[in-house]
Amino acid sequence: MKIRDISRMAWDQVKRRKVVTGLCMTGISIGCAAIIVALSIGQSAQAYVTEEVNRNFKMDEIMVSPGGGIPSPGGGGGQAGQQQENENLNPGKLTDEKLEIIRGFDHVVAASPFQEAGYLQMVTMDNKIGDVQVIVTDLSKLTHFDKTFSKGGGSGVQGTAVLNYSATLGLMDVSVRQNLFDQMNADPFNQELMNQYTSMQTVPSELYRKQIQFQMQDYSVPNGPLKQSSALQVTGILDLPAGYTQERATYEMKVIYISPETAAQLSKEMAFENGSAINLPEEGSYNTVTVKVDDVDNIKWVEQMIQKLQLTTSDNLYQQEMLKEQFDMIKMAALGIGVFILVIASISIIVAMTMSTHQRRRQIGIMKVLGANMRQIRNMFITEAALLGLLGGLLGVGFSYLIIMAMNKLIGTAGNGLTFFIPLMTLPVGLAFAIMTGVLSGIYPAISASRTDALTAIKRD
Amino acid sequence: MLRVENISHSFKTGNEWTKVLHGIDFTVNQGEMVALLGSSGSGKSTLLNLMAGLMKPLEGHIYIAGQDIVQLGENKLAEFRRKHIGFIFQAYELITSLTVCENVELPLVFQSVSPKHRRLKAMELLEQVGLKGKEDMFPSQLSGGQQQRVSIARSLITEPSVIFADEPTGNLDSKTEEEILAILLQLNKTLKTTFIVVTHEHEVADRMQRIFSLRDGYLITGDLRDADPVPEEAEP
Repeated sequence: MKIRDISRMAWDQVKRRKVVTGLCMTGISIGCAAIIVALSIGQSAQAYVTEEVNRNFKMDEIMVSPGGGIPSPGGGGGQAGQQQENENLNPGKLTDEKLEIIRGFDHVVAASPFQEAGYLQMVTMDNKIGDVQVIVTDLSKLTHFDKTFSKGGGSGVQGTAVLNYSATLGLMDVSVRQNLFDQMNADPFNQELMNQYTSMQTVPSELYRKQIQFQMQDYSVPNGPLKQSSALQVTGILDLPAGYTQERATYEMKVIYISPETAAQLSKEMAFENGSAINLPEEGSYNTVTVKVDDVDNIKWVEQMIQKLQLTTSDNLYQQEMLKEQFDMIKMAALGIGVFILVIASISIIVAMTMSTHQRRRQIGIMKVLGANMRQIRNMFITEAALLGLLGGLLGVGFSYLIIMAMNKLIGTAGNGLTFFIPLMTLPVGLAFAIMTGVLSGIYPAISASRTDALTAIKRD
Repeated sequence: MLRVENISHSFKTGNEWTKVLHGIDFTVNQGEMVALLGSSGSGKSTLLNLMAGLMKPLEGHIYIAGQDIVQLGENKLAEFRRKHIGFIFQAYELITSLTVCENVELPLVFQSVSPKHRRLKAMELLEQVGLKGKEDMFPSQLSGGQQQRVSIARSLITEPSVIFADEPTGNLDSKTEEEILAILLQLNKTLKTTFIVVTHEHEVADRMQRIFSLRDGYLITGDLRDADPVPEEAEP
């Protein structure tokens, strides 16, 4: 019997037996939609969280620091080790040459030093102060590391600086701040004072194109001098990170970015007896370099290449792996729920098809008398069941789009950027489960139909 | 062509066995049209079912086209029926969801014959039974006589060795009965197909070349055309 004939006969039956078809399709479509929706929710949530984590943990970046150990032929893992005094004997040193080599690797989008040079007090020209972390980097390449400017940009000119948004918040006049601290110390449980302080922390200051200075007291000697740096011109203010509120930004690190040349100048200006307030490595070397890679999938390869330069690398991929494990579990649970619903649906198909088999006993009997064998009868019923599965699956795909649309409408803007979507790969998965359910549910009725005794079936009472 | 050898059969009712056929022996030649005549309970339907391979006898052998069908398993029997046996039922037994032409084609569907070839053959047969132009109608749109013609065309499509007709005119009025008998006789004459017609009507049996009469499970031999008339009651 040709597949075409079996399919046509199955299709005729599906069209003809509208109630059975409707019942079976409904059951299967619910199960199929459950699988697609469950997988889609898992996938959407994973994409959302991954994006969030990527934004916060920069999973496409590699942190490179000086390594150690004796170089081995053909490279090898440059793990952190003891720094050696003589730079010629220190193969793990992070030098300009190595930075250039790293920049030349495939998949490397950008590589720049981001050296933490210390924490200093920043003073504005109108005598407002705030504590900031000083990071030495190439200001013209900040945008390569997902940093966007709300005002201005990075300048190559010595004596310029870029502030992150948090660094513009909560700057206070020295006397006002001192006064507030004194009052809070005197009355530590005064909620009003606390609220006032918190509120002042969220107030931004206009620092773009303004000048700032660093200042630091030398505490190594009694009544040590208060040193002030020369003035720096603020040429750019970074954007508030996406998804951040003004309040949340106050808890973020307040950072000022300066160029290596500016840092060298400031290091001299802020030098004390026991060292400078600006800590810098030797000229031509770095203590931290950040490498931006074109795709998270290439992180490991680039890391291996960097390690061959006897440098130490670290990344945030473990965050993704942790997430993947968690989401795999969620997806498996979701799949389990969908399969459970399909199993329940399959009972309705078995019942409906067994009923249908009973109603069609006479027809089966005639076919057997006319020469249909057991296999042909069985194949007809299984094809019919598979067809029901396919139709139920297609209906389920339609349902799942409606459900996802309704869910997106329901969460609206409250989702904070979370949008549910149906990944195309879930559709064949849902359809395959639907057809499989149809076929598995059709096996018993098909066997039962094929065993129909032709004589009994055509006998008339 | 068809040889029935010492067929005996019994049915179990509760703990009791009731013998319905007693050592039946006869032979039908190629191209013959014979009647199997008997009243209700005579065993003629049981004998038909045994000859068609729908039941297995407790004793004896049935040879059709040289093959002992008693020895065949269910699937082999299905294959044998598909190739060698045609059926005409009293109640036509057409599949209501299929068109006239599709009903006629059905036995060839089970033989995996190409749609084009089987349609051509079905159309030819429908023309022979006088149903040209009705091929796309459904059985419910036809009269009883027309449905029986479809059934006849369907039985012929596989060019079987033998056609079993079970009370083929039992559901028809006398005019239509005459038309159907004429068609069967004509087909037997032109196609040389062997027909075994089960009937309880003497008038029908008289039109056949030979008559085998059954009474209480025994085959009554001899010239039966002068035998006592069989009571005309409906076969269950």
